[in-house]
Amino acid sequence: APAAGMAALSGVAPWRRGWLPALQLVRRGSKAVTRHWKAMHFQRQKLMAVTEYLAPRPAVPPGCLGPRREAPQEDDGYVRLLRRQVEEVFRDNRMIAICQYNSMPDEDVVLMRHYLRKHNIHVKFVLNEIVRPMLSQSKYKNLLPLFVTRNILLVSPDAKVKEMLRVLKGVPQVNLLGACIDDTILSRQGVENFAKLPPLEAAQGQTVGALALLPSQTSSLLQRGCAHLTALLDQHIRQLQTGETGSMAEPPPAQSSGVH
Amino acid sequence: PAGPGGVTVPRAGLKRLVIPPDYSDVTFPERTKLKFMEKVPAVPKVKREPRQLRDIRGPSQEATDFTQGQYGILALGGGYLHWGHFEMIRLTIGRNMNPKTMFAIWRVPAPYKPVTRKSLGHRMGGGKGPIDHYVTAVKTWRLVVEIGGRCEFEEVKPFLTQVARKLPFPAIPISRDGLEQLRREEEEKKLNNQNPWTFERIITANMLGMRRYLSPYDVKFQGRYWGKFFLKHRV
Repeated sequence: APAAGMAALSGVAPWRRGWLPALQLVRRGSKAVTRHWKAMHFQRQKLMAVTEYLAPRPAVPPGCLGPRREAPQEDDGYVRLLRRQVEEVFRDNRMIAICQYNSMPDEDVVLMRHYLRKHNIHVKFVLNEIVRPMLSQSKYKNLLPLFVTRNILLVSPDAKVKEMLRVLKGVPQVNLLGACIDDTILSRQGVENFAKLPPLEAAQGQTVGALALLPSQTSSLLQRGCAHLTALLDQHIRQLQTGETGSMAEPPPAQSSGVH
Repeated sequence: PAGPGGVTVPRAGLKRLVIPPDYSDVTFPERTKLKFMEKVPAVPKVKREPRQLRDIRGPSQEATDFTQGQYGILALGGGYLHWGHFEMIRLTIGRNMNPKTMFAIWRVPAPYKPVTRKSLGHRMGGGKGPIDHYVTAVKTWRLVVEIGGRCEFEEVKPFLTQVARKLPFPAIPISRDGLEQLRREEEEKKLNNQNPWTFERIITANMLGMRRYLSPYDVKFQGRYWGKFFLKHRV
């Protein structure tokens, strides 16, 4: 140690920074590692207090940032499948009726589905959180306010509204909210009116009859003048006949038949 | 919650199904339960050893990372484990784990260090006492046991905390991710410390002659270790 000190003094190696004390406080107190918390020297306590960790303060206090919004969850395969099914439903079926569904006993659900199935109406349970974004981007935007509570869709390729209404009347827990029949949005009242309409063939027949009414009258209109003249002449002849009896009766009928 | 038109909107939506974890790359050791640790080493020491408390002091250099298992008990302080502790760990873990789906391995050796005790009621002096029992030294940041297999951290955590509370030093149950996160947080704390005066800076420059009251070990330990204790709140 003295040799090293001499070498250092002579300037071969420059002075070391941070020298160790010559006299170390070895005899005093307990060992370095104790079971109890060894009391620190006051200077050391001060050093520990000065060199404590100070956490960084953010520029904007977290309370002012507002509620944290969840990151939009990525699409599951399941979500995509359900969305595809709903798109198919909207594409393939002519009639889509949306009803509010209150909880029913399971056997009643099965019965209702059976009766509707007989008329080729399918019952589909849909989730609002899938249907709503889909509808808002398609042409069925006005159906959005209907998809709020728990609901079911009654879909069918042919529009048998009367039978559907009859079945739904027997089920008090399912209430019709609206329907989209042949790309026409109808309210509940509109659906009832639609049900009261006569079937398509009868309606077509009625329209044809109404349209054909005027042309059918054309021939009678055109012949009205002649018919009127003929009637007047007939009347006149009868008057003459009743007035004159005998030979004058025959030639006037021959003349009138010649005129025809 | 009220929706448009004052109608209550039901909250329950689509169920997001979680894919169960994949345990295909887990290899089980031959014996899944913890090995029985002997009280006394096979060749007991004849020569009594000096106390050498430096095997408790400071951070550990061995067994700081996971090898086979996924979860373990991390020591956050120094201490000695004797045979009673080993038995407690072995029995508690053996009781709570399923040997078919989980395995456990020791990360500390069997007691090797002899500890002497003088007989009770005698005065000081008369030489060093005879060997009383054997202990293993554990430093901070050392893993004591490791658990692995087809299990989740939440399954393993209850009995690991139960064991960790009974150890003579502070310990926590931890997983691989937890350990990485701890290390990352330490690094971040070091970087974003707003205090310009750090222990390391003052001691290396010997500001205010602080080296008079500190030991050469404090240069290494940077004020985070004091005796056998680990000061978690310090950077």
